[in-house]
Amino acid sequence: MNNQSMMQNLNSEQLIDAYGARLSAWLDPSANQVPADVMERLRASRMQAIAKRRILKIETATSVFANNATATLGGDAHFGFWGRAASLLPLVVLLAGLVGIGVLQENQRAEELAEVDTAILTDELPPNAYTDAGFAQFLKASARD
Amino acid sequence: MATEQELSDFLKSVEKRAFKRSMYHVRNEESALDIVQDSMMKLAEHYGHKSPEELPMLFQRILVNCTMDWFRRQKTQNALFSRMSDFESGNEDDHFNILEVLSQSANSEQNESAENHADRAQTLQQIEMAIQDLPARQREAFLMRYWEEMDVAETATAMGCSQGSVKTHCSRAVAALGKALIAKGIHV
Repeated sequence: MNNQSMMQNLNSEQLIDAYGARLSAWLDPSANQVPADVMERLRASRMQAIAKRRILKIETATSVFANNATATLGGDAHFGFWGRAASLLPLVVLLAGLVGIGVLQENQRAEELAEVDTAILTDELPPNAYTDAGFAQFLKASARD
Repeated sequence: MATEQELSDFLKSVEKRAFKRSMYHVRNEESALDIVQDSMMKLAEHYGHKSPEELPMLFQRILVNCTMDWFRRQKTQNALFSRMSDFESGNEDDHFNILEVLSQSANSEQNESAENHADRAQTLQQIEMAIQDLPARQREAFLMRYWEEMDVAETATAMGCSQGSVKTHCSRAVAALGKALIAKGIHV
């Protein structure tokens, strides 16, 4: 089978690939014909890239190590159980104070109402007198005296 | 994960071809070296942790992107795409018959090889010039598909386009090269 008939048996895509491969084969020797100074610069670029990777690896390792160290130190120095408990203490005191004030006010109001009720029950005054704010104040003052 | 030695060996194995490929694209030694250096740095920086098997494809992709970035920086993108659009017309290879070219080549092989017919270096120079005259995407597809011996799928991945586009680019590149070389009396 000669070349002509061989080629006719191939489809156009195969022929294109064959011709492309044949053309590119001519370029192979040229890849090795690189001037010495270019070779040197390529070598330098390669070394630089490798060094970059090395630096990144070291940075990553250092960063991980540093983060762990910070976490450990922080935990021991400031954020232990008692440390956390102590930091919550002002908040607890504040809440307790607010609750205490609320209870006191509630008691005071209950006492005032009890005094009024007592006065109504034991006195001859008309009940309307006790709805008067001034009279209630007078009663409070006299109770204190 | 590729070791430092594996990465170094890989870069060493591809650097010369990468440089030549960049030269075909940018026609400037300094720029070609910059592109290769950028590509090496990016590979080492972002993909140094990948396995050795993944490095070739990643490097091809990075090299394509760095070359395109160079064109962008040179603000020649418009010129580039206008040249590419010439090829999108689809009429370029209407008058090209691959069978005819191969037939001529086969006949010329029988009579006298290209090596004997002319100085080999001169033929190589003509081929290189013809490759440099190709539009960027065709040149990229041609070099990756045939020179780097990547398959259609790999070339498509590296170029970020469909396999159909790769076939079209390759077909048009081969047609253009065939026509240009025949016009110069070179039968490869």
